[in-house]
Amino acid sequence: MKFSKYIIVLFVIPLFAFSLHKYYISLCEIEYIKEEKSVQITIGLFLDDLEYSMNKGLNDKLYLASEDEVENIDDYYKKYLSKHFKVTVNDSLQTYTYVGKEYDDDIVRFYLEFPNISEFKSISITNTCLVEDFPSQQNIIKIKVDHFYKTFYLNNKNANCLLNF
Amino acid sequence: MKKLILGILSILFVTSSFYAQETDKEKEVQKSHYNINKFRQLKQELPTPNKQHTASGAPGYEYTQQQVDYKMDLVLDDENQKLFGEENITYHNNSKDFLEYLWVQLDQNMRAPDSKTPDIKGGGPDVLYFPSKFTKQFMGKPFQGGFNIEYVKDAHGKDLDYMINRTMMRINLPQPIAPGGTFVFNIKWWYNINDYLSDAGRSGYEAFPDGNKLYVIAQFFPRLAVYNNVEGWQNMQFWGRSEFALEFGNYEVSITTPKDHILNGTGVIQNPKDVFTRKQYKRYQEAKKSFDKPVFIVTPEEALEAEKGRAKGTKTWKLYAENVRDFAFASSRKFIWDAMAVDMNGKTVMAYSLYPKEGNPLWEEHSTRVVANTLKIYSKHTFDYPYPHATSVNAQRQGMEYPMICWNFGRPNPNGKYSERTKKGMISVVTHEVGHNFFPMIVNSDERQWTWMDEGINSFVEILAENVYDSELFPMSKYPKNVVGYMSGDQSKMAPIMSQGDNVFNFGANAYAKPAAGLFILRQTIMGPELFDYAFKTYARRWKFKHPTPADFFRTMEDASAMDLDWFWRGWFYTTGNNDIGIKEVKKYYVTDKPTKQAEKMAKRYGITVDQLPPSLYLVSENSDEFSSDLKNKKPEDFSILKDYIEKNFSEEEQKTLKAPKYFYELTFEKPGDLVMPIIVEFEYEDGTKERKQYPAQIWRHNDREVTKVFPASKAIKKITIDPDEQTADVDLSNNSWPKNKETKFDKFKKKQIKG
Repeated sequence: MKFSKYIIVLFVIPLFAFSLHKYYISLCEIEYIKEEKSVQITIGLFLDDLEYSMNKGLNDKLYLASEDEVENIDDYYKKYLSKHFKVTVNDSLQTYTYVGKEYDDDIVRFYLEFPNISEFKSISITNTCLVEDFPSQQNIIKIKVDHFYKTFYLNNKNANCLLNF
Repeated sequence: MKKLILGILSILFVTSSFYAQETDKEKEVQKSHYNINKFRQLKQELPTPNKQHTASGAPGYEYTQQQVDYKMDLVLDDENQKLFGEENITYHNNSKDFLEYLWVQLDQNMRAPDSKTPDIKGGGPDVLYFPSKFTKQFMGKPFQGGFNIEYVKDAHGKDLDYMINRTMMRINLPQPIAPGGTFVFNIKWWYNINDYLSDAGRSGYEAFPDGNKLYVIAQFFPRLAVYNNVEGWQNMQFWGRSEFALEFGNYEVSITTPKDHILNGTGVIQNPKDVFTRKQYKRYQEAKKSFDKPVFIVTPEEALEAEKGRAKGTKTWKLYAENVRDFAFASSRKFIWDAMAVDMNGKTVMAYSLYPKEGNPLWEEHSTRVVANTLKIYSKHTFDYPYPHATSVNAQRQGMEYPMICWNFGRPNPNGKYSERTKKGMISVVTHEVGHNFFPMIVNSDERQWTWMDEGINSFVEILAENVYDSELFPMSKYPKNVVGYMSGDQSKMAPIMSQGDNVFNFGANAYAKPAAGLFILRQTIMGPELFDYAFKTYARRWKFKHPTPADFFRTMEDASAMDLDWFWRGWFYTTGNNDIGIKEVKKYYVTDKPTKQAEKMAKRYGITVDQLPPSLYLVSENSDEFSSDLKNKKPEDFSILKDYIEKNFSEEEQKTLKAPKYFYELTFEKPGDLVMPIIVEFEYEDGTKERKQYPAQIWRHNDREVTKVFPASKAIKKITIDPDEQTADVDLSNNSWPKNKETKFDKFKKKQIKG
């Protein structure tokens, strides 16, 4: 019975999720636009959960999307993403550009881009956003290239995915 | 004669298409199929109607329902976090069947050391373990949860034989209970209350740094399972997620707590003078006249004073509730209590909130007001709230509903500040959980089987109630596009809404957001509020204090509205399909009086000359070689055929009102999505004006992939947009406009960033 408690915690976390928006999910959409030579990435995370994760170990708490939000909040976001959302295109060392973020209700959506990609050969993603603090966090990655669609479901047991064209 | 020729022609048109197919192709053996039309009726999916659940969706004249009454004496041991109970149960067998045994639910056993709930969770090890998690998960002793049953005895004190199968207990009766008979028995039990913040669960206690505890206690006593006309005994195991099926009955409950605790629960306190101070009692009575704003029954100062001490003695709260399906209570010395009266067509209902100081100032500002708003709006869409009060209790990280009482999360930061998000989350959880009083506490669907029937339907009414409370914070425009992300996902990771709750992926999206969005689309776009609201209300009224099934809901919505919605239920509830409608092609046509090649061909095939065709106008595509540019300048009235006809058949007055279109467009709509939906089209003309047209979903009944439509217009069309307000949860908007809009959402954002 040594496993019981551990699994109960995992299993029961979604039980807090009685209000509509309270499920543990993020959605990342990736699209390659050949004409623009651009790999466009948007990733949306629940602000409550992100705030909880980002505040861990901080003395001065961050109050995301509020009056008390610090001016250089983007620096914090960039730092968090560089640690938890790693993307490699065509096996190159090039990393994405942080175009910006928008707040949409209880979600923050980041806009990230790989410019100058004249040929899209492969993409690999490691997404550990929120999984440390929310065991049932599911990070969905949707990739679209012309009429090709692929969806990956990442979680705390499997945080990587790779796609070759 | 003219009529006859037209009649013949219309037959010819139909047959000519057959000829075209049969000519030069080699004969292939084609496979037959059953009816796969998306508009076929749901006869195979829905159960056959009977005298209990009728074809109209109402309860039938042979519908039966059991009743179970409880008398309980409870002791809350705050020092050791234990709950003790002596329970007296009266079971009324209102069915036409003899019952050889009774099934009793033991939900607490889901938390017992030998629970099988952990065993059904698969998967490998986690990516990482913090030391705290590691010690707890691999090195700790399991929590000694679960019921300790001391005895089960009949009314005369004689032991009854019973058998426990995990979360279900079978009471083996000495003789079967006859139809109309009753059976009285007693159970004595106790269990260890869980710390729900570390051990999880929908009830338990929260410990504060000073040692104070806040108890939210539910699913705490052995409860009778439902025996109904559809399932027989609903004794599916409780795995922790799919909630409950319970019978209605009357509850007489006494609860002994520490002397300094404040408590409220399902039902009305019968001895308020014994449990409140004199001042509190006075305020408790006076609150019943405060219809405009909440007033305190237990003030923040009193609560602060109480939480400092640890009283030695006890007191006993006596509660009585009529016609409820369950019982729950909350108790703590930290509770502040405020109250407001709500007028329910002449009857006064109390809106209450109980919260610790940690909930303020958010809670005193909103909770009770939100309770009152929820009761009003839900009553408007269903029936007048029939219970004497509705209570919202602040409990960290909880959101759980019971009759008359619910636990809700939402606390400000320690400095008392709270964000719009915290406020929003708190208002929505209070609305949601108080709303559950209607679904499923009163319209009592089977939650163990169909999560969507209470969560989905409740989440839908929640949208309407929140919007009334604060339309800026809760705009309706968010729906139904909030489900697009989920519905466009991987099909292998999706289950239809019509799945048992334990077996679905993405529980929140599947059982809450998707059914709510579906009902939202039905109300706003397919049926319209007037038809929808009447039918929805009919469902709620027919099934209040009864056990409805999905078929009763589907049938009632059609029965009361004269709308065949089988296609909608089939697609949205029985499949995992999504909606994707696009505009594929737009062709411009012009009017001519010269028979087109097609017309000539047709005449030839049936042995008449072109001249023998009745006088007609023809449409020529701009792209065809029959088109000549002079047609562009001609109006339909310029052709004598039309002109003569109009002059002959219409008075001068009538002629003035006739307007001939100048342009004809052939629109080709494509539907890569599996669902059928109405096509909402917005036409934007060259002069900037706009027009909308909504084609019913039935437009897809003969071709599920593609349809064409001729659209006449008096002005040239500049732009066409499908579903411009995103009312139909279209999962791919890239094919929704003509001319095609290549700019992605990303491009738009980037442009804005550069500008900004």
